Amino acid sequence: MDGVREDADGRAELMFALLADARLPTGGHTQSAGLEPALRAGTAAADVPRYIDARLRTVVRVEAATAVVARLAALSALTAHGAHGAHGGPVSAEKSNSAPGSCGSGAEFDFSADGSADGVADGPAGRTAEGLLVEVWAAWAARTPSAALRETAQRLGRGYLRLLRRLWADSPAVTALDAATAVVGGHPPRPVVLGATAACAGLSALQTARLVAYEDVQTVASATLKLEPLDPAVATGWVVDAQPAIDALARDVAGIRVARDLPACGAPLVEAWAQAHATRTERLFSA
Amino acid sequence: MTDTPAPTRSLRLGVAGPVGTGKSSLIGTVCRELSAELQIGVITNDIYTDEDARMLRAAGVLDPARIRAVETGACPHTAIRDDVTANLLAVEDLEQDFAPLDVVLVESGGDNLTATFSPALVDAQLFVLDVAGGGDVARKGGPGIARADLLIVNKTDLAPHVGVDVAQMVADATAAREGRAVLALSRTDRASVDALSDWVRAMLATHRSGTHVPQDPGPMAPHFHADEEHPDGGVLHTHGDGDAPHGHAAQDPAPSTAARG
Repeated sequence: MDGVREDADGRAELMFALLADARLPTGGHTQSAGLEPALRAGTAAADVPRYIDARLRTVVRVEAATAVVARLAALSALTAHGAHGAHGGPVSAEKSNSAPGSCGSGAEFDFSADGSADGVADGPAGRTAEGLLVEVWAAWAARTPSAALRETAQRLGRGYLRLLRRLWADSPAVTALDAATAVVGGHPPRPVVLGATAACAGLSALQTARLVAYEDVQTVASATLKLEPLDPAVATGWVVDAQPAIDALARDVAGIRVARDLPACGAPLVEAWAQAHATRTERLFSA
Repeated sequence: MTDTPAPTRSLRLGVAGPVGTGKSSLIGTVCRELSAELQIGVITNDIYTDEDARMLRAAGVLDPARIRAVETGACPHTAIRDDVTANLLAVEDLEQDFAPLDVVLVESGGDNLTATFSPALVDAQLFVLDVAGGGDVARKGGPGIARADLLIVNKTDLAPHVGVDVAQMVADATAAREGRAVLALSRTDRASVDALSDWVRAMLATHRSGTHVPQDPGPMAPHFHADEEHPDGGVLHTHGDGDAPHGHAAQDPAPSTAARG
């Protein structure tokens, strides 16, 4: 068993690196995570670390929690089809959390159960995977009031889905996502697709949340280099400095299991800037 | 409503080349000449503005809704080569919104001589040089100049003013391309414009017949594989037709992944 366990851990570690890599072909290079309009609105380059922190407390928290719940929904599709071992590898047990992912910090979650029996066999309350995905998709949309942010997330979701189809073409998680899309219409947003991808790649809930948060921080930091005169090592230092906040966020939201528990913490300025940016003509980044 | 391919699949034609060589103008010419007989869409990849898209819309040669700009995050090279996602989504949206389209032209953000389209994005590509950039550019070669489906030597009407011998530049380009097509183009030279239109028609016919296989001009020049066991110390090879499969990913540093943009 130890060999199997190590194999799954190694795979998850490598898949995390793959999915967090800016070279992943999903269109990430077109994004500044709202930094371009933020700078244009007067944010100083020196304040970018605070901008990063503000995002981690608000919009990123919603995205990370959405991905965590979507992962669980996709996992239920994998287990229902007996494909869990093939696609996901052993998954860390997850307990329900009585105070999950609130916008304030401090929600505690016990991860010491890692390695015990798989606790996600049928998803919450025996619901279908597509039903759960529809639910988390709707919950995400309700917590993302800016149409521009929703449109961007859906565009990015298409990019991830394109890759997901190529890498895990026959996965029941993809089938479930297609079924959910048929119900909702349009395109699933990035955090929902990323949750399904995390399930296929064998990432834990905690890794999934860390991935979303890290990716956002790195997007802001590297976009700064295109928009402001800055030593790249300084921007990389911002990412390192954000590590405790990333990890705290991930631990806060990793235990969330159902859509209704998603945090609802918007950032009105980020949303307003996103709206303004969507119709601007002179811009380096799509969003 | 899933992310399946659009019901019609156009000929996706890339237009690459350095800044200012006339890529937008060439696309305008193609639209003006062929929009009566073909359904056309255009994607632009300006680095900072949507100037190219606006110029084409203002030219009145195509329904403005059929011209869309894609932001590349200052990575024009990445957007047509390493990560074509944003452009592919834009192409598919156009194909869906204006089905059936015959041709979608994808204009790269003006980059340098090494930027060429991935065959994952376009079926065929033009590489555009101009006489004002200097008569020796064609001789310098590079993947686009050497192996694009068609090399354009643009603005030939300016040749007398910039001291360039067009015939010599075309001869140099033809030599660099081992005989592949070269077209000396000027908006004021009717015969050259007709030749461009004919080339597009012929490429569309080949594409539709299913006999066209997208060629990748490639990011790499002919290069050397060191091998101490080999009598010559290694193998010089290119990535052209008939090249034997070889373990590139494992052996070579991957230039396209070394940096973005």
